[in-house]
Order: sequence, then structure tokens, then C-alpha cells
Amino acid sequence: MGKAIRYLLVGLGAVVMLFPFAWAVITSITPSDAVLAVPPDFTPDDASLDAYGKLLDTLPFWRIVANSAWIGAASTTLQLVTSAMAAYAFARLPFPGRGALFSVYLATLMMPLPVLVVPLFIEMRTFNLVDTYFALLAPTIASAFGVFLLRQAINQVPREFDEAAVLDGAGHFRIFLYVVLPLIRPALATFAIFGFMASWNSYLWPLIIIKSPEFMTLPLGLATLHGQFTTEWDVVMAGSVISVVPILILYVFAQKHVIASVAQSGLK
Amino acid sequence: MSQRIRVAASLAAAALLATACSQGSATKAPSGEGGKVTLRYFTFSAAPDHVKDLDKIEKAFEKENPKIDVVVETAPFDEYFTKLQTSIAGGTAPDTFELNYENFVTYASAGSLLDLDTVKGDGDPSVYAKESLDAFQRDGKQYALPASFSTVVLFYNKDLFDKAGVAPPTADWTWADEQAAAAKLTDKKKGVFGDFQPVQFFEFYKTLKQAGGEFLSADGKKSAFNGPAGVKAAQWLVSKVGKTMPTEAEIGGTADYDTNLFKSGKLAMWHNGIWQFAGLKDAAFTWDVVVEPGDAAKASAVFHNAVAASSGTKHGKEAWAWARFLSSSNTAATTRVESSWELPPVADQAVLSGYLKDPKPANRQAVFDSLKSIALPPVIKRQQEMQDAVTKQLTEAAAGRKPVEEALKTAAADVDALLS
Amino acid sequence: MTLTAVRPKAGGTRERRAPRRRWRYAGTVAVFLLPSLIPLTLYTLIPMVASFWTSLHEWDLITEMRWVGLGNYLELLGDAGTRAAFLHTLYFIAGYLPLVYLGGLGLALLLNRAMPGRGLLRGVYFLPVITSWVVVALMWKWLLNPASGVVNWALGLFGVSGPGWWTDPDWAMPSIIFASAWKDLGFVMIILLAGLQAIPKEFQEAAMVDGATAFRRFRHITLPLLSPSSFFVVVISLINGFQVFDQVKIMTGGGPGGATQVVVSQIYDLTFRYGRAGAASALSWLLFALVLLVTIVQIRGQKRWVTYG
Repeated sequence: MGKAIRYLLVGLGAVVMLFPFAWAVITSITPSDAVLAVPPDFTPDDASLDAYGKLLDTLPFWRIVANSAWIGAASTTLQLVTSAMAAYAFARLPFPGRGALFSVYLATLMMPLPVLVVPLFIEMRTFNLVDTYFALLAPTIASAFGVFLLRQAINQVPREFDEAAVLDGAGHFRIFLYVVLPLIRPALATFAIFGFMASWNSYLWPLIIIKSPEFMTLPLGLATLHGQFTTEWDVVMAGSVISVVPILILYVFAQKHVIASVAQSGLK
Repeated sequence: MSQRIRVAASLAAAALLATACSQGSATKAPSGEGGKVTLRYFTFSAAPDHVKDLDKIEKAFEKENPKIDVVVETAPFDEYFTKLQTSIAGGTAPDTFELNYENFVTYASAGSLLDLDTVKGDGDPSVYAKESLDAFQRDGKQYALPASFSTVVLFYNKDLFDKAGVAPPTADWTWADEQAAAAKLTDKKKGVFGDFQPVQFFEFYKTLKQAGGEFLSADGKKSAFNGPAGVKAAQWLVSKVGKTMPTEAEIGGTADYDTNLFKSGKLAMWHNGIWQFAGLKDAAFTWDVVVEPGDAAKASAVFHNAVAASSGTKHGKEAWAWARFLSSSNTAATTRVESSWELPPVADQAVLSGYLKDPKPANRQAVFDSLKSIALPPVIKRQQEMQDAVTKQLTEAAAGRKPVEEALKTAAADVDALLS
Repeated sequence: MTLTAVRPKAGGTRERRAPRRRWRYAGTVAVFLLPSLIPLTLYTLIPMVASFWTSLHEWDLITEMRWVGLGNYLELLGDAGTRAAFLHTLYFIAGYLPLVYLGGLGLALLLNRAMPGRGLLRGVYFLPVITSWVVVALMWKWLLNPASGVVNWALGLFGVSGPGWWTDPDWAMPSIIFASAWKDLGFVMIILLAGLQAIPKEFQEAAMVDGATAFRRFRHITLPLLSPSSFFVVVISLINGFQVFDQVKIMTGGGPGGATQVVVSQIYDLTFRYGRAGAASALSWLLFALVLLVTIVQIRGQKRWVTYG
């Protein structure tokens, strides 16, 4: 294939990927009365930040962003720890019924969330945890997907490494901490991203379990916004822009590692 | 799974559940300091435009009842019932909550509402308009107190009528008059539409009544709308789409599209509720309202909201006091009237007469006239499914994917299945 | 084992020590397993069991449950709404899967070769993957707005009058498919890139020496060696495809006229709008069974097309 065509294709694709984001930014600074104009104005002369002001008046948006950020970080950390440990057990510690238990883990991935939400709510209320940070976190402490992913990665670590450590007198905890974990770092990084995304995007569960605005997370805030300002696309897009910015900054810093680690994470 | 792990896992789970249950029974009693009772109220009609008005009513109530602290929780209508149902299922139902007439039956017959007569204090029931009070009774028990009502009227842009040389609507208009005027007023080149009436369940049951039909059979056990009147009503709604009214694509699924179209002076006639009055105060053109045109008969839609108490509340007396205050107190009634929110269902015409003093729209009397012949929505146990089924078939017909007759036939079969 | 062979006479002491060691080993397994097993049990498995129990009842979330046995399942199997929901889900998968897979494969092949700005470009394609579905759905709803959306305006420049997209029963599902493919393209690309990079260069070089055309090299070397990655992508995409929900909920809510009502949005409606939690649970278990079946068939069938190098 010609080099020119290759560049053209990739470039066009990149435009398609970026345009929606750019358009969201443009819409968010367009004065509200010009938002619905046809043809669209790509360079609004009288750009204004009114939509952002309106947004911050309606919802405690920074608080909501902060909630999402710290809950995302906490749930990612918890998932990393619990999943890596279980993955180690499934990869390295044979015990009777291991295969069956692993199948149970995988099966939980196939259950649609909306139907689990009601029993889970009732459970939370029995624990007296409705409308708390813990209730937001609880369902994300363990991740079957994480166990699946990390077990694949650990399976690819040559057993000779473990055996060498055993000869040095290391037990399973030391092997796990000092041999296996460093070797599956790329997979851990990959999973950290997916785990964070899952929490960052989660919508239905927070909707059910959270009542007070002070515990609201981003998707909930955005959906509320969309409900209240259905045609005020400038405000809705301002909310979207604000919610993308933190993860974008994170991503710019981590980009190299993210792509590299996904590429090496044993997803092949 | 190995026997040992299975046993260990179930033991752990059982132990945790046991602690959980013992905790659960000791639910934090919702009472504040100094013997103050905290009363939760969940509502959909306040946010976002009338939060301040509700706040005003709440403050007045707390002043009169210093021992009660009302905590308001709001949710948009789309999410309201999702949250209410889950909280009832989980046993965390709010003490008091708002219900609309369509959903009242579902909750009352499920036993989740407190019979308010068992907790009522002093208070004369005659302050309420009788029809409103009766609407929230079931099996002779008062399960909720009517808090507000609103009706649907025909809004029109007088300037557009004058410019086109068409006589503005009157209370005597029929569908034919509306159609003729709408055709003359529509000017697609200028983006002006003659008419706007959504194609969905709520418009259908009403136009059906206007066409002389009934939605359900007299015993309520079968659908009755699949007949000449039903076809006429559905045809009337569907025929506007793309001719005198924008199509779904032009609307773009945006909920306030019609509001903005009317506000920008590009819509001549608009079927909508009186809750729009406040938002139209600053319109740059002359507008007014009139009772909706009928066909074989006149029929106007009335929406009713009420305050109910949860059957599980520990504060029945306080719940009643709040419901009573919210629905019939002078403060509540005048606040609703002054902010052109919705109307208080009170019998005292003097309170309501304040509503007529507002100069805009000029023909406010139409709101009361529309009450003379009303169409209440049909209510069944599987309400939401019925509404969705009817709207779905009407949408298909409006999109031209089905003839109206076939759509109605399918809708009738669906509704019959829900009733069986 | 080796120890036993070397010191056969130590049998006596071993017998006393073995149970202790076995207990210690069990303890180690438990310490590694329980941090995830306990929360998984509490917050996923118990609700799953509860939902199965619910599926045997009629329950509106408000009144007491009423036992109906397999009634919900029997009703669902003969129900037109269920059939429509499964068909719409299959429609989504049929559109979405080829689009993300072929698109992702194309991108991976293009971006696997050295070119300036390659890292940045990969980043650009990955950006939608890390953006929340609520945001993506809102952005696409706006782009595909029939009246004032940019897409229809652009089509208008070419003299094409754009469709009603998510407001038109015929175009609503394609709109959701486009938005979903746009979001997930980068994910597929990254996984396939990883696969491509794991293919040893020697294979390609050897084939080139033999004078194989680019197409033949792709067909007979790249594609087979990429099959494990492809397998992973297909399995995960199918599981996610069967559970498509967030984008539907925000973009169309299942409409217009039920045209995008997929299985999980039907489950949502049954639970929260129609007060039929029992039927909803039964439908979830039917979906669960289907996904499980499809996944097992895939794992069984992978021998036919997946080559592990």
C-alpha cells in the first residue's frame, strides 16, 4: 500500500476520533442562542463561558469530579490487590475444585447488572449502608475480569523463576511479591486502567444507591444535567468537557505506559 | 469447589449476614436532636424550577410545627419511580412522597401507602375540591391527599394568527377548525409550524374521548379503543406529523423542542399544560390560551399529583400534618398560585381567584372552563406497560411504518394481554 | 514427591507432619483467595442466587413475592417482546462486531509500521476508550441530532439529506452501533497491535524471500498468528455485545417505538418501570444461559481457527 494512502487513512481516522471532542468544546463555548444554528458555526466569534457558569451553579460539579476521582482510585487499588492475589492462587496454588471455582468467577461476568441491582440494594440496606461511600465502592472490591486477566499474565511467567526462588527458601508470599508481581507489571497497569474506567463510568448502581448530591459521581451528575437541560446542549457539553479533562490529563501523562503495557500485558 | 471451601465460604457468608441482619433491625431512628422528628419527603415536581417555592412552603410548615424537620429529596421524573421502588423494596421508603394519579393505584393496591384516616388530626375535608379528594381514595380509604392539579389547554401565538389573517381559536372550535387554521399558518420555508401535539398515550386517550370513544370497557377488563373513534383519534394525531407539525427527526428527540419553538415565535398552536405559563411570561409576542378543540365532545386532560405516606413510616401523625399542609394550607395554595406552578385542589374559590388576577395569559378563565369536561387517564395495574405499548404503536404509525388501523389493533391486543 | 523417593524411611515423621503442612497450605490458599472471594460472594454471587430465587416469583418490588415456579420463564419464552429484545441485541452484535473488528484490525496493521507521530496517533484512537459512556452517548446524540447536528449538515453539503438517526426507528440501531464502534475501536486496535508485535519478524522475512505477495503474507502468516488475539477480542466483544445497555439507555431509552429495546434494557424496564422483578430476573438468566452457551461454543470451536504459536 502506498505511503500516501496509509497516511491519508490514518489521518482521516484520527479526525473522526477527535472531532466529537473538539465539537463538544466548541459547543460548550457557543452562546446558548447560537447553539442550534444551521449551518453550525465552527468559530463562534462571541465565545462565552456562560455554560460553565450555569453548570457550576446547578451542581457541585467539582465535588462530583473529586468524588469520582477518589472512588475510582480506591476501587482500582482494592481491585488490583484482591485480583492479583486471587490470580496467583488460580495460577500457582493447585487445590481441589480450582477449575470449578474459576468457572464461577468467569460466570459472574455474564450476568447483566440491572438484575443484580435490586438484591444488592436490599443487601446494602440490611448492612445499613445506603447512601454511603462504602456502598458505592462495595461491588467493585473484587473483579472477576481482573482475576481472569491477571491469571493469564501469571501463567506466562516461566515457572523456573518460582522454582529458583523456592530453592532460595522463599514462600508463596515472597514469590508473589518479589517474583511474580514485578514481572506482570504491564498487565497490572492495563488492569488498573480498565478498573478505573469501570468505576469512572459506572452509572446504574450510583443512581440507585445514592440520594445525597454530596455523594454523586460524574455519570450521575451528567445524566441529571441532561435531564434538566435537554436542549441546552452548551451546558450538557460543558459538563462533558469538564468530565473528560481530568482523565485526559492523567492519560497524557501515562499514555506511553498505557499503550506499552496493554501491548505487553499478555492479551494475545 | 472443594467441600471444605464450600463450607468455609457459606459459613463466612452466613456469619456476615447474621451480623448484617442484627444491625438491620437497629436501623438508625430518624429523629433529630431535642425530640425533633425528621420527616423525609420525596418529590419530582419541584426540581428544577420550583425548588424555592417548595422551600417556602416547607419553612412555613416548620414554623408552625417546630417539632418536625422536613427533609426534601428530589429526583427528575425519569428516575423518580426507579428510586422510589427500590427504596420501598429495600425498606428505606421516604416517610412521605409524591404520587401522580396514574401511579396511585399501583401503589395503593400494593399496600405500600398508609391509610391517612388512621392518623389524621383536626382538619376539615371540605377544604378540598371533592373530585380531587375522591380521586385518591381506594376501597373507601384515603391513601393520599391531592396536592396540585393542572390541565392541558391550547396555547396560541396571536401575532402569527393576525399576520396570516386567520381568526384566533375560540372555545367553540373543533378539530376541523384547528386543522384548517394549522394548514394556513404552516410556513415551512420560514420554519413556522401550525400545530404541535405529541403522538403518545396521554394525547391519545384524551383525543379518543374527544372523538366520543372510551379507552377501556365499562367493567375495565378489556380495551375499547380499537373502533371508529379510536381510529379517528389516532388518525388525527398522526395526520399532523410532517404536515402542520414537525416530524420526529426535526424534533430531534429533545424534550423541550416544542417549548423553544413556541417561545421563538415559530409555532402557532401548542397543546400543553398550564405549568408552562411561568416560562412564557417574557415571550416577545402576544399569546393566549383556549380550551382545547373537541370533535364529537369536549374533553381536557387533567394531571393530578398527591402526597402519600409510606405504610412503613414511624411518624404517621407528622406525615399527615405535612401532607395536609402541603396540599391545603393557605401558604401552599397561594405559593402555588403566585408562582404559576400548578393549581391547588382547594374548594375555596377565593384562593383560586387570585390565579385569575395575573394578566398573562388574558384568558386564564379557560383553565377553569377546561375542568367542566375532563378526561381522566385510564388506570390499570400494569400502567406503565400499557402506556408504553400504546405509545409504541402510535409511534410506528406516525413514522409511516404501519397503517393506523393495524397499529391500533396491535395496541388493543397488547393492552388486553396486560389486563388478563 | 522427590523427597519421598530420597528418604523413604522418614515416613514415620512425615505422617505426623503432613496434616499440619496441609493445613498451612490451605491457609495460604485462603489468604490469597479470600480477599476477592468474600466480596465477590457478598456483592455478586449472593445477589445472583437471590435473583434466581426472584425469577421463580412474581414480584413488583412493593408487595410480597408470590411463587410462580417456572411461570416467568414459560411466559418469556412465548412473549413477542422478549423475542424482539433478543433480535435487537443480535442486530446490534451483527453490526457492531464486524465494524470494530475489521476497523480495529485495519488500524492495527496501519499503525504497526513505523511512521512519524505513531505514538500520538495510537493515543488519539485510544481516547474514546477511556471516555465515559455517558459522555460519548451525549456527544453522539448531539452530533447525530437530525435537525441541528453536524453530521446531517455535512451530509447536506454533498446533497444528501441525512436520516433521522436515533429518532427514526430504522436508523436508531445503526446510530447506536456507530457510536459503540467509535468508542471501542481503540480497544480492539491496541489488543491486535499487541498480537502483531508478538509475531516474530523472521516469519515475514522468510516469506518475502520466497516471493510471497503482501496479500498472501497477510492471509497465510499474519492472520493465523494473530488468531489468539482475535479470539480474545471476539469473546470479550460478544460478552459485552450481549449486555449492551448504557449507550441504549442514554441515547434512545429503547425507542423510538421500541426499535432499540435490547435484552438488558428490557430487563431494566421490567424491573424498574413495569414492577416485574421476577420476570426481569428470569430474563437475565435466559440471557446468562445464552452468553454462556455462546462462550462455550467459542472456546470449543477455537481449535478450528485459532493457532497458538
